[in-house]
Amino acid sequence: MPPKNVTEAQICDWCLAYVKRTVGDPSIAVGPDITFPQMGLDSATSAYFVVELEEWLGVELDPEIVVEHPTIGQLARHVVSRQGGNAGAG
Amino acid sequence: MSAAPFSSLADLLRRRAAAQPDERAYVVLSDRGREEAAVTFAELHDRAVAMAGRIAARAAPGERALLLCPTGIEFMIGLFGCFLAGVIAVPMMLPRRQSARDASAGIVADCTPRLALSLGRLIGGERGDLVGRFAGTGVEFLAVDDAAGAAAPDLPRAPRPADLALLQYTSGSTSAPKGVMVSHANLLANLAMIESAFGNTKRSTYVSWVPLYHDMGLVINVLQTLYVGSLCVLLAPVAFIQRPLTWLRAISDYRAEVAVAPNFGFDLCVERYRAEQMDGIDLSGWRLALNGAEPVRAETIERFAATFAPHGFAAGAIYPAYGMAEATVLIAAGKRGAGAVMRRLSRDGLQRHRAEAPRGSGDEQVAVGCGRALIGERIAIVDPATRRRLGPDRVGEIWVAGPNVAGGYWRNLEASEAVFGARIDGEAGAGWLRTGDLGFLDAAGELFITGRIKEVVIIRGANHYPQDIEDTVQSCHPALRRHGGAAFTAGDGVAAERLVVVQEVERTERNRIVADEVVGRIREAIVSEHEIVPHEIVLLRPGALPKTTSGKIQRNLARQLWLSGALERL
Repeated sequence: MPPKNVTEAQICDWCLAYVKRTVGDPSIAVGPDITFPQMGLDSATSAYFVVELEEWLGVELDPEIVVEHPTIGQLARHVVSRQGGNAGAG
Repeated sequence: MSAAPFSSLADLLRRRAAAQPDERAYVVLSDRGREEAAVTFAELHDRAVAMAGRIAARAAPGERALLLCPTGIEFMIGLFGCFLAGVIAVPMMLPRRQSARDASAGIVADCTPRLALSLGRLIGGERGDLVGRFAGTGVEFLAVDDAAGAAAPDLPRAPRPADLALLQYTSGSTSAPKGVMVSHANLLANLAMIESAFGNTKRSTYVSWVPLYHDMGLVINVLQTLYVGSLCVLLAPVAFIQRPLTWLRAISDYRAEVAVAPNFGFDLCVERYRAEQMDGIDLSGWRLALNGAEPVRAETIERFAATFAPHGFAAGAIYPAYGMAEATVLIAAGKRGAGAVMRRLSRDGLQRHRAEAPRGSGDEQVAVGCGRALIGERIAIVDPATRRRLGPDRVGEIWVAGPNVAGGYWRNLEASEAVFGARIDGEAGAGWLRTGDLGFLDAAGELFITGRIKEVVIIRGANHYPQDIEDTVQSCHPALRRHGGAAFTAGDGVAAERLVVVQEVERTERNRIVADEVVGRIREAIVSEHEIVPHEIVLLRPGALPKTTSGKIQRNLARQLWLSGALERL
C-alpha cells in the first residue's frame, strides 16, 4: 500500500490537533517535544491514536511505535523516514 | 453435567478431552479479527500433558510456576501443564518494557517460584528485558511453545480438591503483594456457581478480550467454557483497546451467547462506535453481557443498550455482577435475560448509611444492582465497627461465606486472619470474608455497592494501591517530599473513578521549581508506571497534608480537604 505523500510538518500538525482534542484539558501543555505520557496519553489512548493515524495516512503502523518514539516530533520524523525508505525502494 | 463431580481442574480437562475430543476449545483471533490459531479439547489435553512432564521434571508438586504468556493457546497449555503436574500456577501480567518498578519483583519475592513459563520468542530476545528482570532469583524459564516433551511422561499423583491451583496477585501494594490461595475445590465450586447463574451449556460460546492473568478473564471466561464444554474465542486486550468493534463483530460472527467486560469496555464501544463499521454485525444472539470487575454505572448501561439496540442488542442481556479474587472471582450475579436492576436512592440517606427514596432530584443517585448471592454462598451486610449484622437497606461492609471463598493469602497469616477469618458479633461460625466494599441488600436480596472502606483505586478493572502511586510521585522529582503525598479517588460512586494526587513540595525547593513542569513530570511518571491518567495533580505547601501523630498520611481526610478546597496549595 503506497503511503500518502505527506510531510513531517503535516504529520506533526495533525498529531498536535488530535492530541489536543483527546486530552481536552487546557491546563495540560501539548507540544511536539513533550512525551505522550506527560500529555496524559496512556497506552490505551495512544493505541487508539495509532489507529487513527494509520487511517489518516493509509499505512499500517505498529502499536508500539509510540513507545519507541514517545513524542509527536520523533513520531513524525520516524513515519516520514519510513515513507522515504518505501519511496526509494519503489 | 456428568454424574461424578470433578476432583480437580486436571480431572476436568481429562474428562472434557474424552467426552468431546475433536470439538474446538479455544480459537485465537488476530488484532484485526482473523482466525489465527485453534485447539481442540484433545489437542489441549495432549499438549498440556507433555508440558506437565517438562514441569514435573523441574518442580515438585506444591512449588510455584509464573505464567507469563500473552493471550493465546500457550497460556492454557502452561496453566493446565501446572495443574497436571500439581504445581501452583501464578498468572502474571507481562511486565511492560518501559516500566521500572512493576509488581513482578514483589511477587517473585513473595511466592519464590521455581519456574517461569513463557513463549520462546519472548524469552529468546524479543523481550530481552524479561529474563533479566528475574536474574538472581533462581527462576528457570521454560518456553511453552517448545515442542520438546514426551507424549506420556511420568506425572505425580493427580491433584486433590484441597490442593492449591493458583495464586492470584490482585491485592496488596507492589511492595507488599498478597497472593490469594485458590484451591481446585474453590475453582470447581465457583465454576459450578457461574454455570448455574449464567445458565451456560455446551452451546454457550464466548468471545473474550479480558486478560487471562485477570480473575475475570481466567475463571469467568476460559475456565468456565472448559467447564461447560463450550468454545471460547480469544482476542488480545490491545486488539480490543485499538478496535473495540472487533469484539462485537466476533460476537456476531461466532454467534456468541456470552461476552463479559469491565464497565470501561462498554463505554469504549460506545465512544468508538461508527455506524459504517457495523455492517453485518448482528448482536441478537448475545444473551449475557456481564459487566463487572469495577463499579457498574447506570449511564454506561443505558448508553450501550441505546447505541447497539439498532444492531439487535437486547437490553435484557445486560448482566451486572460483583466479585473479587478472594472469592475465586464471582460473588453476586443477576438473572439471565432480566437486565439490570436500578434503584433511585437518596444521597443524604447514603450519608447516614441507609438506602432510602430520594427527596428531590438534587438528592437523587442511581444505584445498579449486582445480583444476588450464588447457590451455596451467603452474603451479609455488617457494621464494620461493631461487627453486627445489618438488615435490608442498611449500608455496611459486604461479607461473604461459601465454598468459593479462598483459603487466605500466601504465607501471610496476619492479613489472612484479618480478611478471611471474620466473625459476626452474636453469631456462631467464623471464616467470613471481609470484602472491604460497602453496600446493602434490599428486601429481595439484591446487592448494591455504594462505596469502599479499603484504600484501593479501581480503574479499568485493575486494582491500584495509593502507596504505590505516592511512591512513584515522590521518586520522579527531587523537589517532592517523601511521605508528603496522598493519592485517592474523586469518585462519588456515580461518575467513573478518577485519580487525584496531592503532593507537598520541599521547603527549600518551593521558589525554585516551575510548577507546571513538575506537574508534567508527575503525570508522566503515573501514566508510565501505572497506566492511569490522573484527573488532577495538586502541589501543596510543605506541611499542608493531614497526618497522624505517628506521621502517617490521612488519605481520607486529605480527600475531604481537597473536596472542600481547604488544602493549602503551593
